[in-house]
Amino acid sequence: MAKAELKTKQKTVIEDKSSLKGTLASVFFVGAFIIVTWVGVYYLFLERF
Amino acid sequence: MANETVAKVKVDPRDAKLSMAHFFVAFSALALGGLMGLLQTLVRSGKWELPWGIDYYQVLTVHGVLLGLVLTTFFIMGFQYAAVSRTTGGHSNAARRLGWIGFWIMLIGTLMAATMILLKEASVLYTFYAPLKAHWIFYLGLTFVVVGSWIDGAAQIMTYAKWRKNNPGQPSPLLSFMAVINTVMWIVATLGVAATVLFQLLPWSLGLVDTVDVLVSRTLFWYFGHPLVYFWLLPAYMCWYAIIPKIIGGKIFSDSLARLSFILFLLFSIPVGFHHQLTEPGIDPAWKFLQVILTFMVVIPSLMTAFSLFATFERYGRSKGATGLFGWFRVLPWNDARFTVPFIGMAAFIPAGAGGIINASNQMDQVVHNTIWITGHFHLTLATSVVLTFFGISYWLIPHLTGRKLTKAMNKLAIIQAWVWFIGMTFMSGAMHFEGLLGGPRRSAFSTYGGAKQAAEWIPYQVAQAVGGSILFLGIILVLIIFVNLAFFAPKGEEEFPVAEAEDNAEKAPMVFENWKLWLGITAALILFAYTIPFIDIIQNAPPGSKGFQTWNKW
Ligand SMILES: [Cu+2]
Repeated sequence: MAKAELKTKQKTVIEDKSSLKGTLASVFFVGAFIIVTWVGVYYLFLERF
Repeated sequence: MANETVAKVKVDPRDAKLSMAHFFVAFSALALGGLMGLLQTLVRSGKWELPWGIDYYQVLTVHGVLLGLVLTTFFIMGFQYAAVSRTTGGHSNAARRLGWIGFWIMLIGTLMAATMILLKEASVLYTFYAPLKAHWIFYLGLTFVVVGSWIDGAAQIMTYAKWRKNNPGQPSPLLSFMAVINTVMWIVATLGVAATVLFQLLPWSLGLVDTVDVLVSRTLFWYFGHPLVYFWLLPAYMCWYAIIPKIIGGKIFSDSLARLSFILFLLFSIPVGFHHQLTEPGIDPAWKFLQVILTFMVVIPSLMTAFSLFATFERYGRSKGATGLFGWFRVLPWNDARFTVPFIGMAAFIPAGAGGIINASNQMDQVVHNTIWITGHFHLTLATSVVLTFFGISYWLIPHLTGRKLTKAMNKLAIIQAWVWFIGMTFMSGAMHFEGLLGGPRRSAFSTYGGAKQAAEWIPYQVAQAVGGSILFLGIILVLIIFVNLAFFAPKGEEEFPVAEAEDNAEKAPMVFENWKLWLGITAALILFAYTIPFIDIIQNAPPGSKGFQTWNKW
């Protein structure tokens, strides 16, 4: 039984319902946004002071 | 017996009455305070002047006090009181009585302060910095508001404590836990403002002492002032974490994560007030540095929140069959005002949070300090993220409490309202941010500064702010129409108070989260660590005190 199961070539599900890759991309976007604005104002600081 | 503690689906009608009392005050404050905001942006455009001898700084004080202090405190107390009632099974008669006493004391205090502002005896802005000196009745009124909020909050704590006693070993309902965290943080934080008002500003305004130590009073104010913004924000987080998932038909990503982030907010919101005083002399830079580091700790629960919300949305979307990286985003219930209105608030928190990190960074604070960038910043945090979430809460909570229904027409109007708000705020707050980067000052009426070239650069941005302010005022009219409809005219019916559950496989929240001795102990330790030595230094090396100033025009 177990052997038979091992042999069956099940097509892997293309997308896992519990996937959180969109969440990962979103938090990376938020992080990047924070860094870009921070660096932008830091540049102003360097220019002025 | 068991029924007693089972959460009721509906808020007890007696509790509903007290919540509604809070909301009537909150929305009245919104109406009047919003009008003042419109007048300010018109004055600052340089195209219009206030009639009948009304003073810009008086209008500014009314705006800040009504929207920053009155609208927020009354709405939050009303919402949390209802949330605790809904999730614990209702308040006892004793707790309800306490809630009413707190409400009336807050209202009396509000009226005292408002009268003094209208009489031009207190144009000291909502931060009431010394050495600006207001009439003593103004300070006494503020004291009443704070003491009233303690009593009001004590009702929530009492009901929470009763639930814990009746359910030993059980983690408390998430919304009640969050409400109590926020109330506890509020009580600890307001000790600072109570200290400066009772020991410094009241005796000084009564003429019992001649001078005031400005740095001590500002330090005590900002000990309170930073957690104040988290007191505004955490009820919005309550909605985002524990209510929105139910509205969209999903689940809370993690109950424990939500509780942990609230505890981190309790710990790290308070010992950080120096980041508002980075440019002030008299505070040792080493202690400023330390508090800036503690400030940056708040980034952790903030990003935990962002992660958790995205995850809730993605899990829900994928359960509906959405695929791809962002397919889940499209299947969210965009036609439901209870979701879309707070969602716009959440989105606004991305630039708002980024701006906050800039403000708290020592060097960058020199770029933006005392500029209208700061005003733009807190109009994204408070006046967009928080307020839109509060509006979104009102759209189901008010009909739930009044036994009415949010109609399709009102739902649509609510979504339009939020977009109007978003557009108005993009103009106003956006222009404030850019003008601030060009050095435009905050807290000041229109001036060409003697024809200075730099000041001329600011004027187009101030016109843009007036355009945005006018659009926002339209948004205020719309939200008031919806509020009045839901309170008095909407058809009778049942509107759900949504309370989300954690994902099926979620484990029970660890009981350590309810260990108040532990969390209050760490809170106290962090506060003592961050403040004791610099505060002693501030007092020991104090310059001579200042007499009071009244810089505004009197009637
Ligand atoms: Cu702050």
